[in-house]
Amino acid sequence: MPPRGQPPPASGPGGPRPAVLLLAPLLLLALQGVAAAPAGAGGTEDSPGLQDAELQRGLLQQAARAALHFFNFRAGSPSALRVLAAVLEGRATVNPKKECQVDLVFTTDHYNREPFCLIPKSLFQDGEERLGKCSARVFFRNQKPRPAVNVTCTRLIEKNKRQQEDYLLYTHMKQLKTPLDVVSIPDSHGHIDPSLRPIWDLAFLGSSYVMWEKTTQFLHYYMAQISSVNQWKTNDDAVDFDYTVLLHEFSTQEIIPCRIHLVWYPGKPLKVKYHCQELQTPEEASGTEEGSAVAPTELNNF
Amino acid sequence: MKWILFFGALIGLSICGREKFFGDQVFRINVRNGDEISKLSQLVNSDNLKLNVWKSPSTFGHPMDVLVPSVSLQLVKSFLKSQGLEYSVTIEDLQIYREMNSIAGDFPELASRVKIGHSFENRPMYVLKFSTAEGRRRRPAIWLNAGIHSREWISQATAIWTARKIVSDHGKDPAITSILEKMDIFLLPVANPDGYVYTQTQNRLWRKTRSHNPGSPCVGADPNRNWNASFAGEGASDDPCSEVYHGHHANSEVEVKSVVDFIQEHGNFKCFIDLHSYSQLLMYPYGYTVKKAPDADELDKVARCAAKALASLSGTTYQVGPTCTTVYPASGSSVDWAYDNGIKYAFTFELRDTGHYGFLLPANQIIPTAEETWLGLKTIMEHVRDNLY
Repeated sequence: MPPRGQPPPASGPGGPRPAVLLLAPLLLLALQGVAAAPAGAGGTEDSPGLQDAELQRGLLQQAARAALHFFNFRAGSPSALRVLAAVLEGRATVNPKKECQVDLVFTTDHYNREPFCLIPKSLFQDGEERLGKCSARVFFRNQKPRPAVNVTCTRLIEKNKRQQEDYLLYTHMKQLKTPLDVVSIPDSHGHIDPSLRPIWDLAFLGSSYVMWEKTTQFLHYYMAQISSVNQWKTNDDAVDFDYTVLLHEFSTQEIIPCRIHLVWYPGKPLKVKYHCQELQTPEEASGTEEGSAVAPTELNNF
Repeated sequence: MKWILFFGALIGLSICGREKFFGDQVFRINVRNGDEISKLSQLVNSDNLKLNVWKSPSTFGHPMDVLVPSVSLQLVKSFLKSQGLEYSVTIEDLQIYREMNSIAGDFPELASRVKIGHSFENRPMYVLKFSTAEGRRRRPAIWLNAGIHSREWISQATAIWTARKIVSDHGKDPAITSILEKMDIFLLPVANPDGYVYTQTQNRLWRKTRSHNPGSPCVGADPNRNWNASFAGEGASDDPCSEVYHGHHANSEVEVKSVVDFIQEHGNFKCFIDLHSYSQLLMYPYGYTVKKAPDADELDKVARCAAKALASLSGTTYQVGPTCTTVYPASGSSVDWAYDNGIKYAFTFELRDTGHYGFLLPANQIIPTAEETWLGLKTIMEHVRDNLY
């Protein structure tokens, strides 16, 4: 796993012959946050300039997602999860092996802040300051999983506060009656019982690891639902959580069930093992793929 | 207003967090003998389950129809299973169809419920027609499409809210009043009824139709890849197991064909809007190519205006652009078909949210979503009204 390093250098990357970004039209994604489309490149039929700009934006978006999933996983804190607010700037280069390096800067918001809580954004006094800022270098290996990520973010939540909140979450988790009497979280109507919210946040943390590994230039994921809780054990030094999550891959629209087993204690690195049910698609030459990984630094302890 | 109570009951009003949702279902239970009748009576008479018998069997061999409130669903299912009672779940889109009927009943001069076809599993496909026209004149018309992807529940919910809004605001809101003075509106809240039922009973994340694919264990085709616009092109799959399987041939899905036939027979549609979720996007053709549509500049302006109007309510931001480069390449889509068939004002909405809840948007966001979307829809419809061709 690449260590958290310095922010990426402003100048271009090394490498024999960095090529100007040129991606297959397959990579086309939405930009979150407020952003105007680039001014029309003119012309009535094809607008190659416009397309390239949009492809660039799509790739930056992908890189931001990969970087954030990785960041969330490494932070190991279910009360300090972040979501992408907006990509501010970035640049991508593709090498002859079709590997793609992206340097970018983006802003983040709190994941745990309940969205659309009937409080209009205008009422947040702090405005832009509630957003964190990250710079990252992401290296996509030509549609292979496990993009390499180097990411640094400004602190969104003060360290002590974060530890307190994690510990609070942990004590709530310990109070949950086992076996848990739940099937899906959320239910079909998007409802998560407040007492079960810590489970969702912890599941999202574990899923971040999986989603980081599986994100490529073209594929990106959301956690749709926890479809089953297989085991939930809390003792004095850990939460042991075995669950099945449904990931939604956006460009193929597929739902991918992943069995995840994690062990967590506030302040300690997260340990994750997972196995996803991959679908057989024509693009996968080797047939059904299974991802099974343990974070290498935690191997001994698991 | 009665509709608030109904919709409130339907959806459940709440502030941030707690909500109840009534997903009632009608169970059709087979009764084969007296023993089964008495078991059923036991069930029906139990107070706490709050069951409602709709149809009692006159003799053995005839089924009993029972309305089961959503809170009792699991219990009833377990009971029936444990007693070996056979049953099937009928009209799950019940509430939406009832509400459509109610709207037409409450505003007969303005709204009527029209059957345009049926689904693969033989469920009716109903549209609501809103028209102030007298006689049989074919006014220029707007088509509002919803629920083509069954798991995108905010789409069907927004559609039925919008239906009520149209009839309630007509005569009061100058915008909708003037729109209906010149044009008719057709609203299809559940374009994929079989899929919708399936999401309520078996798999909440089902997207496609429920048609059978000969030779394949996989069911259904993506109804938004099945239209005759670069059918089977890039951005669709020929694998029946894929979520974007385009189907055997264009319009192979009867749900799609029903709409195509209706629109073509009508011949005077000027606007086609398709509601989906999620991502908060407002898009226009094309999905099947990166080539710019001839009207792209105008459509882009209209879409930006609509997104601005939408955002004015709660600050919800939408990205605007052509489908192919804004979300992904998609061939055989409804909006591309509409556009290539002379329906210039063709738009796709991807409603809330941007991935936090995704398809499982909490019920307390339904009304806020519908309200803001209404502002966007009105902007588009006003532009159409002022730019009829």
